[in-house]
Amino acid sequence: MLRPSLTARAFGAAAGLLLAVGLYLGLVMVPPDAVQGDVQRIMYLHVPSIVTAYLAFSVVFCTSILYLWKRDLRFDAVAVASAEIGVIFTGITLATGTIWGKPTWGVWWTWDARLTLTAILFTIYVGYLMLRSFAEDPQAGARYGAVLAIIGFLDIPLNHFAVYWWRTLHQPSSILRAGGPSVAPAMLVPLAVNFVGLVLLYSYLLLERVRLERIRHRSAELRLKRGRRG
Amino acid sequence: MVGEVLRRTWAMTRKDVTVELRARERVNAMLFFAALVLFIFNFALGPDQEKLREVAPGLLWLAFLFTGMLGLARSFQAERENECFEELLLTPGDRESIYYGKLAGNVLFMAMAEALILPLFGVLYNLDIWEHLPSLALVALLGTVGFSTIGTLLAAMTAHLRAREVMLPLLLFPLTVPVILGSVRATEAILAGEGLAGVSHWLKLLAGFDVIFLVVSPLVFEFVLEE
Amino acid sequence: MGSWGFIGLAYGVGLVALLGYFLRLKGRLRDAGEELTGLERDGGRRT
Repeated sequence: MLRPSLTARAFGAAAGLLLAVGLYLGLVMVPPDAVQGDVQRIMYLHVPSIVTAYLAFSVVFCTSILYLWKRDLRFDAVAVASAEIGVIFTGITLATGTIWGKPTWGVWWTWDARLTLTAILFTIYVGYLMLRSFAEDPQAGARYGAVLAIIGFLDIPLNHFAVYWWRTLHQPSSILRAGGPSVAPAMLVPLAVNFVGLVLLYSYLLLERVRLERIRHRSAELRLKRGRRG
Repeated sequence: MVGEVLRRTWAMTRKDVTVELRARERVNAMLFFAALVLFIFNFALGPDQEKLREVAPGLLWLAFLFTGMLGLARSFQAERENECFEELLLTPGDRESIYYGKLAGNVLFMAMAEALILPLFGVLYNLDIWEHLPSLALVALLGTVGFSTIGTLLAAMTAHLRAREVMLPLLLFPLTVPVILGSVRATEAILAGEGLAGVSHWLKLLAGFDVIFLVVSPLVFEFVLEE
Repeated sequence: MGSWGFIGLAYGVGLVALLGYFLRLKGRLRDAGEELTGLERDGGRRT
């Protein structure tokens, strides 16, 4: 476990390749959007980012349930790893969304439904990571985290309804969809390539982060044994 | 079976209420804080009556929620200070009763505070609340229950945490955004004289939220109480 | 800032975030690996 596994390295390499291709496609090959111009190219990072984040948080949800059920710390390792990476991707979504918003809407922040929801999502999972680290011991942290992850994940659809109704039922005219009123077929290609690339990157980072947990668990085991012997 | 759960729940609630009525710590703190909040809003937002009436529903719920938070933060304080968590665990019976008991106590205290805040609010901001009292009460109930379901769970979790004063609100507020938005929008519609028909979707969201977390929270509560 | 300025900023943030996390992870892995190697080496010896 002291070196990255072959699978991990394969994912990493594939991710690098696909993202390079996706970058080229999105920034060079595909023509600029008819309405938004070149700025729309930010969407080729923004959209795959949030989808990958949701994937990551789904994994946190599933492994949290599995951990509480089976009490196998390996599930918990995947949960915390996936949450960390999910937070990174959510942060990127938030930042790219804001940066796209400035030239498009003229302001860095609006209480647009998507941005608001992303900000809430970010806060929930940052809270998850903080809860884990402030717990009195790692086992408690794993338990509390798992409970929070389950509650949080069930909460997400409710948040979606609430925030979308809040924004749309009062200002129907000010809705700007991130991808523009329609997505030209050519634009789907860099979106898809980047999405697969980011999922592969997520997988690579996940495997490595879980490996870190395994090393730490092993060290803790050895320290415990040494304590007993000495 | 259900009778057992109800009996144990009631025992838990009654214990909390009795303790509180003797010490009156929690309710006093909540009321004082609520009054403070209402006054400060008035100073912070300036004398423009029209502007104040526009934001009134939001202010009301800010007062409710901050006060509720204060109550929630203290709901496991007795257990934590007196190391009663272990005792709770030794009590025979299911963890769900403990959760429901604590939840009922929290809803009760928050509702008591709201019952006192609402008239004060009506007076300070010159709003006719009496006309719409039943609708307001319904919305307040739905919102309070929703807020308290997750709040009780999180209060138990954060009770022994470092930085718990920060962690409880940090965790609670993003999760209860649907409750906040729904309650404020519905209250707004009521105070504007529009009645509940126009905000039925918000009421359904609040009710749905309540049901989901009334079911899920007690199920996961046992994992919080372990050890 | 022109369009491409914003685009550069956005992709730049993404790159910094991912690269930053990756490098920090590698650092943590290296430290943890060293600690484990140390413990395993000492494990055979008695003090």
